[in-house]
Amino acid sequence: MPSQNLEIRQSSASLRGQGSGLRHLPNVSKYIDTSTCIGCKACEVACQEWNDLRVVHTQQLGSYQTMPSLDADFWNLIKFNELEIDGNLAWLMRKDQCMHCSDPGCLRACPAPGAIVQYENGIVDVNPEQCIGCGLCETGCPFDVPRFSAKTGKMAKCTLCVDRVEVGLEPACIKSCPTGCLHFGTKDAMLALAGERVDQLKGNGFANAAVYDPSGVGGTSVITVLAHGDHPEWYGLARDPQVPASVRFARSILRPLGLIAIFGAIAGVFGHFMGFGPKRPPPEGPGPPKSSAKT
Amino acid sequence: MADLAPQIPAPGALHPLNEAMIRGRHTENVTVGEEIIRHRLLSRVIHWSVALFFFLALFTGLPIWTPIFGWMAHLFGGLAVCRWLHPWVGILFFAGSAAMFFHWVKEMKLQPNDRAWLGPKLWKYLSYAEEDPEVGKYNGGQKLFFFTVGLGALGVLLSGVVLWFPLSFSQLLRELSLVLHDVTFILFAVAVIAHIYLGTAAEPGTFESMTRGTVSKRWARLHHPRWYREVTGEESRRR
Repeated sequence: MPSQNLEIRQSSASLRGQGSGLRHLPNVSKYIDTSTCIGCKACEVACQEWNDLRVVHTQQLGSYQTMPSLDADFWNLIKFNELEIDGNLAWLMRKDQCMHCSDPGCLRACPAPGAIVQYENGIVDVNPEQCIGCGLCETGCPFDVPRFSAKTGKMAKCTLCVDRVEVGLEPACIKSCPTGCLHFGTKDAMLALAGERVDQLKGNGFANAAVYDPSGVGGTSVITVLAHGDHPEWYGLARDPQVPASVRFARSILRPLGLIAIFGAIAGVFGHFMGFGPKRPPPEGPGPPKSSAKT
Repeated sequence: MADLAPQIPAPGALHPLNEAMIRGRHTENVTVGEEIIRHRLLSRVIHWSVALFFFLALFTGLPIWTPIFGWMAHLFGGLAVCRWLHPWVGILFFAGSAAMFFHWVKEMKLQPNDRAWLGPKLWKYLSYAEEDPEVGKYNGGQKLFFFTVGLGALGVLLSGVVLWFPLSFSQLLRELSLVLHDVTFILFAVAVIAHIYLGTAAEPGTFESMTRGTVSKRWARLHHPRWYREVTGEESRRR
């Protein structure tokens, strides 16, 4: 259900008049510190409970991961990766969910007006009433997050608990975290917090610690502190995520060009009709049919 | 003609047009009075089936393509209905196009001089500057349109299947299909606009060839001189 209280900044398949820009809200963000996550899955459960999602059966993958990937009924998943780094064993755990991009590929690709919206505070939400279940959002998303539900015929993903955020509460996953590796606040505040943590990690010998806030999608409203910031792929994160060029091309170039071509063709045939008129057989009588062209 | 006495038709005699239409159920390329049967019933049924499915696919597809045509979705009960209906209509459209392709492909064999229609000849034709006396039942432009439709139907089908079941295909195929479906349909739409115009307003007498199936001899002599000579056995006025 989309929020009734938050102003919309941009909306899928809408050309103009998406938001008034009247109310200014700061961008909000989740803060995820992968270095202090213990993989307890409290956030997974809290997400399921708060959002009233159906039970999804867990799978034994031979690791500490609940299931292979996100699901239409499972919007928050701790990804687990076991690695040997410089002779030391490392358990990398990262909370995977919608990244709430500033420039959301799902919203760009979506053909249904208002099915995907971005609120003034940066949260990217879905509106099932408008969703037509085409699945194009999955093609547009560089993080492989939106999931189509065969049960509902709709797409589903993390809403950043917009229903909690709009009344001043933090998202359910943040609320449940026992180690304090999750925080929620304005994006500026979370970036400052992340900066401090990165400095701490560097002091502790993680020279490549960094904040993951990819600029290719205009930054995200979920920022992630990575102890091994030079290897986001170890955490299952793309090095430089981008909205697919094909989606941008189809929406920003092909669509206007196609409209020009179609309306141009209609104008062209009207022009031809006015300039040349209908081609009729010449009047009966001797003489080559060619003569009609000269009149 | 010179007889001034009122002409009373014999009982059971038909108007030539009615006779032409009855014969046109099974035959084409024959003259009946002043008319020539151009498209027999089967050809016309195939053509209009393809046209019907094309427009259903167009009107269910355009609102998904751009919100500018969002109002079209209301004709079918909303965008979600369009998303459901569009692929099924598309399958019917492809089936019709495939039937049409095999129905007409023999007559559409490209002759060496047909390729010239891609060049300045097309403009000479459109500007009424030159009539080619060697144009048979179909001119080069019509043949090129025919093959454009065949290729286009295949293009929208292949990309459409991927878009229909996006989760069954790789990211690369999904992205390619998104672009291919748009490109094919845009070319299709432009070609069909020209096709409809040339078949109606631009060339009076042409539309009837697809409705009642007949054209006048004068029409045939102007637009398809060689076909006219073949069908009537007459010499066209020119040559």
